[in-house]
Amino acid sequence: MINFDNGSTSFPKAPGVGKVMADFIEKGAFNINRGNYEGSYNVELEVLECRERLARLFGCKHSKNVIFTPNITYSLNMVLKGVLKKGDHIITSSMEHNAVMRPLTQLKEQGVSFDLLQADEEGSIKASDINELIKDNTKAVVMLQASNVCGTIMPIQEIGQICRERNLLFILDTAQSAGDLPINMEEEGIDFLTFTGHKALLGPQGIGGFMLSKKGEKEIEPLISGGTGSFSNLLQMPEILPDRFESGTLNLPGILGLNKALEYLEKRGIRAIHQEKMNLTKQFLEGLKEIPAVRIVGKKSIAGRGAVVSLDFKGRDNARVAYQLESEYQILTRVGLHCAPMAHKSLKTFPEGTVRFSFGAFNQEEEVLTCLKAIREIVSL
Amino acid sequence: MMMNYILFPNHDNAMRLYRELRKETIYAKIAPTPRSASKCCGVSLIVKKENLRQIQETIKGKEISIEKIVEIEEDINPQRDKYC
Repeated sequence: MINFDNGSTSFPKAPGVGKVMADFIEKGAFNINRGNYEGSYNVELEVLECRERLARLFGCKHSKNVIFTPNITYSLNMVLKGVLKKGDHIITSSMEHNAVMRPLTQLKEQGVSFDLLQADEEGSIKASDINELIKDNTKAVVMLQASNVCGTIMPIQEIGQICRERNLLFILDTAQSAGDLPINMEEEGIDFLTFTGHKALLGPQGIGGFMLSKKGEKEIEPLISGGTGSFSNLLQMPEILPDRFESGTLNLPGILGLNKALEYLEKRGIRAIHQEKMNLTKQFLEGLKEIPAVRIVGKKSIAGRGAVVSLDFKGRDNARVAYQLESEYQILTRVGLHCAPMAHKSLKTFPEGTVRFSFGAFNQEEEVLTCLKAIREIVSL
Repeated sequence: MMMNYILFPNHDNAMRLYRELRKETIYAKIAPTPRSASKCCGVSLIVKKENLRQIQETIKGKEISIEKIVEIEEDINPQRDKYC
């Protein structure tokens, strides 16, 4: 099996992830902030370690500002619905995933308005175009760092700068970039950084989160309320972080698994992994140039993109191609609209969609060669 | 015997200080907050009185939030919580 669907979820996971999760379940699945015994305190220390690793990785000033959620969709919902109120306006791009577009569409029914920054056919946007969309009631900009459809990277630094100058909150979706591209909340002016643990961070499914800046702390209300194991004498949610946004029992096996994955990433180095993935992407893109029956959607070279490549097989049903890749060559991809219909409209691939190849931390050059050979054979039939 | 408890607004801060003290090899034991000291259901650290000054420096240096430090008489009543 060749897994080129790491954009859906990474596989394999980082070494040791499964073991720490199994050990937790088998040898002492103690709850934190509740149990008053050593086993529980030991888990709390590991959770703290995971928060600290995440804070370091994303340039978040304090690990108490790292909030765990079940996944990045929950994170985006908690942030968007916790920040925006009736009468507010928000700016986003036409490349967004439905994890942003659906909450915004739902909020529209409640009196929140939004405008789209239109991307070109390569999925690129011009940061300065944001200025033309800002209104008196604009509160925030929400955007992904890298497209989940074609890998195009957004000008995050410039957008952060504009948000600071115009006093707007900046909400970043790092679903396809966390663990792959460098991100620094402080330097890039990000107020809410949302992340998932199971893609390039190489952790398990079911764990994600968000981080808040000092400014962001004051602008968000908790969407979920309940027990936190603190201030139990009060009926109101505590003000203190991370408790304010972490009601109910957390996914502790998931956090421990993610912590193990982060330890691995620290050792191997995110920049080194990124470089290896980009080498594979370059190899793939160059090989595709010799196959005219295939159209590369988005950027044609590795400049300004991540390790995600979308292809349109001219005159063929892309789903059939994906099926052939899997059934005849054991190559795993993702076909369709990738939960991002607006992005496909921008890329002019709606409603046909594309076949997406997303490289991961454990893919090899030989696998890319095998895949190119498979594509050549499929299009020659 | 008098016991010194450091009380916290939440577990996160308690763990943060516990870990720092452990690094500095200063005695600290995590324990449930005595009900007589707070109704918040949190955890606290039992520490030694002679280390308090050093501990307070760590708290300040590491931006750890605490609620208060209390001295409580160790109250072990052998009759309490005994059920017939």
